[in-house]
Amino acid sequence: MLARLSLALLLLVTLPAQAAALMGFKDSAMFMSEFSRDRKELMLNYSPAVGHAFGVETMWMRGEKHTNLITNINYTGLIKRWNMPGGQANLWFMTGIGEVSGDSSGFSYSPGVQFDYETTRVYFLAKARMVRAPHIQYDTYSVQGGFSLYETSFEETQPWFVVEARTTDGMAMRNEITPALRLINQNYFLELGITNPWDSESRTPRLNLMLTF
Amino acid sequence: MKKLFVIAVLAIFTNTAFAATSIHAEVKGMVCAFCAKGINKKMREVDATKDVWVDLKNRMVVVELKDQKTMSLESFTKLIKDAGYDVASVEYINKTLLEIKADHTHTKEVK
Repeated sequence: MLARLSLALLLLVTLPAQAAALMGFKDSAMFMSEFSRDRKELMLNYSPAVGHAFGVETMWMRGEKHTNLITNINYTGLIKRWNMPGGQANLWFMTGIGEVSGDSSGFSYSPGVQFDYETTRVYFLAKARMVRAPHIQYDTYSVQGGFSLYETSFEETQPWFVVEARTTDGMAMRNEITPALRLINQNYFLELGITNPWDSESRTPRLNLMLTF
Repeated sequence: MKKLFVIAVLAIFTNTAFAATSIHAEVKGMVCAFCAKGINKKMREVDATKDVWVDLKNRMVVVELKDQKTMSLESFTKLIKDAGYDVASVEYINKTLLEIKADHTHTKEVK
């Protein structure tokens, strides 16, 4: 029972901050997070209109010199969406403002952009985000690519193989490569991966889940 | 009086003849089940909706309507847009969702 509860709680707090869809549909809420050795992120947003979402986020980050907790209110906007017969591409803008605590303190801001393209079989994402505060510069650049071996119906779960490469200025683990298995269903988005699997020092499991309400 | 009677009869028969059972649409950009959840959820919240079928492989959404209930194509299209997608084509069909599914399965088998 305790193990199940722990797993459920772990799933709840490990939602992917890097998923293609950064918000749900109109009048929906989305909860996302990332959980790894040097970074823990939680974000909850609400979309009052198509292409706009407002929310709160908290990021615990362990850098080369500082360890901090950043708490922001944030906005995510869809700059442009391309709905195609067999695919969808999006260009997103996101920004957060708030405060940092821990080894540094003061005002924080974190603007970023993301582009993603997805079909029922292929997936690509590129993202850049600044995370700035006094004495802090955790700027992050990442790309993801993946594929699914087969299409599924709306009721079925579709497995994907996804690889992410990410580099973050000032972080203890600057470069990360994460191969992952992603399962997408109408009710959830679950990702299981291992960061830097060939390096025993930086090898870290990653578990992501996304839910919309 | 006679004219009124004819008009009334025509109106009744016209409604019966063209009472739509389902709405069928091709949707652009609908590529993943998790992302298309909004379509399914919003369509089911509509009072006129009896059942919904989202077909990802063919980017198709079908809504079967309840008896004596209607939904305009404009309302249907707005719900799809609010979920983040575009409608390529939309039409009323005088078939139940099960019949449309059966047609679709048959077409695939023939192919």
